[in-house]
Amino acid sequence: MIQLFHVFKQYGAEAPALSDVSLEVRKGEFVFLTGPSGAGKSTLLKLVFCAEPASGGQILVFGRNVSRIRPSGIPYLRRNVGVVFQDFKLLPDRTVAENVAFPLEVRGQHPREVRRKVTSALRAVGLDHRMGKFPLALSGGEQQRAAVARALVGDPALLLADEPTGNLDLDRTVEVMQLLEGANARGTTVVVATHDRGLLARHKKRIIALENGRVVSDGDSVRRAAS
Amino acid sequence: MHRLVLVLRRAVDALRRGPFVTAVAVGTIFVAVLLTGVFATALTGAERLLSTWAGEVPASVYLAPGADLETARQAAERLAPGTKVEAVTPAEALRRLRASLGDQAKVLDGVGEAVLPAAVEVRSSGMSLAQVQELATRLREVPGAAEVDVGAAWLVRLETLLRRGRLVGAALLGLLAFATAVLVANTLRLAVYARRDEIEIMKLVGATDSYIGAPFLVEGLLQGLAGAALGVAALLGSVQALLPWLRRALPIAGRLSRPDVLPTPLLLALLAGGAAIGIVASALSVGRFLRRV
Repeated sequence: MIQLFHVFKQYGAEAPALSDVSLEVRKGEFVFLTGPSGAGKSTLLKLVFCAEPASGGQILVFGRNVSRIRPSGIPYLRRNVGVVFQDFKLLPDRTVAENVAFPLEVRGQHPREVRRKVTSALRAVGLDHRMGKFPLALSGGEQQRAAVARALVGDPALLLADEPTGNLDLDRTVEVMQLLEGANARGTTVVVATHDRGLLARHKKRIIALENGRVVSDGDSVRRAAS
Repeated sequence: MHRLVLVLRRAVDALRRGPFVTAVAVGTIFVAVLLTGVFATALTGAERLLSTWAGEVPASVYLAPGADLETARQAAERLAPGTKVEAVTPAEALRRLRASLGDQAKVLDGVGEAVLPAAVEVRSSGMSLAQVQELATRLREVPGAAEVDVGAAWLVRLETLLRRGRLVGAALLGLLAFATAVLVANTLRLAVYARRDEIEIMKLVGATDSYIGAPFLVEGLLQGLAGAALGVAALLGSVQALLPWLRRALPIAGRLSRPDVLPTPLLLALLAGGAAIGIVASALSVGRFLRRV
């Protein structure tokens, strides 16, 4: 699903954000990407969904070399990738339903189909009764559930989550993680970037640890260390 | 079909959400269309008046001594069908000269009628300057014609002036259109920047640049059309208000009507120009932003 070969990423004259990173995430996996702030977790996710180009190395997503995808082809790759952020990235002047409808509208789906899928996605995250509300009228946990619904409404093969529980308390964290695990159980490959060691300890998943832009461990050793 | 509806809905939503930017863009295009329209109206009106004057000027064929006036009149009628042809004897020419001199006609005392040549006068209305000049060329074939005068020297100078005015006007209008497009593009950049979060999220979920850009282009089109429609309405109002005054002030403008100075093709061109400026300005601003994000 995702393959990185000796990937480098450098911003200007600063130290590399990623340095010689090679890893593979297979289809259907649930992987935690962890490390301290500045380790390169978010940068790695940005490279995978083509928000930024790598400075060196090769990245394959769905078997396609992303450095060879033309800018006009990037949107079509992203339609198979759901993304969740720590700050939710919901538009405050659109209702929850309108926010969740975005990925379907950009694909040109019929409004009737959009309504049906949005209702279904919001029901799956327990927000169908809040679909007409604006995001700022929702709690942090509800906003993140809406963001998860938006990421999953298009039924993506890959879900990337960048610190999805960073702004949430423990109960809301559990709710969001249940949603991500549910998507994974239905076949979606999930990569979650987090520095929350408690989260790693509670979920028995593969953990890739980054430090100063390098992969320092890959497996479940970090979880054991954390616990 | 539903894609088109979606694009229109998003464009109208955006106009509603950013009334200030919309007002500035519409206002800028309104001023540009109004200035262009005033200039074009002035040129069109001047050309129309020139044409009217040209049509009112009689072409005079002065005959050589001894030439037969009646033969010349008949020839002129043949050469200029549909015009009013009049034979003017030397006596009639002298009488007219006396009449035109009024109180100073005494200076002609003692002048015999044989001093003035016989002439044939050809009058027509609604002829352009070029048609009058072409008529003068034909009238040179009148038997016994010594000289043909259409009194058009000053009209030629005026037409040259108008032709230069058209050239300068075209250059100025090009400059004005460019400046307006840049000004509106900068205004719309504010609108694009205000919606950077929305654009970022749309890109994130797989929107193509054309999907993101289409509503902005529609917005530009609607703003351009609105600004141009206001400009055209202001022009129409001004012309309707000024025409009666112009008719009173200039007798030659007596038959001048709204379509003469503000023809429908010009109105349509102004509307299309405003719309084009709106679209180009939108394309510039959103294109630049999309290349950056």
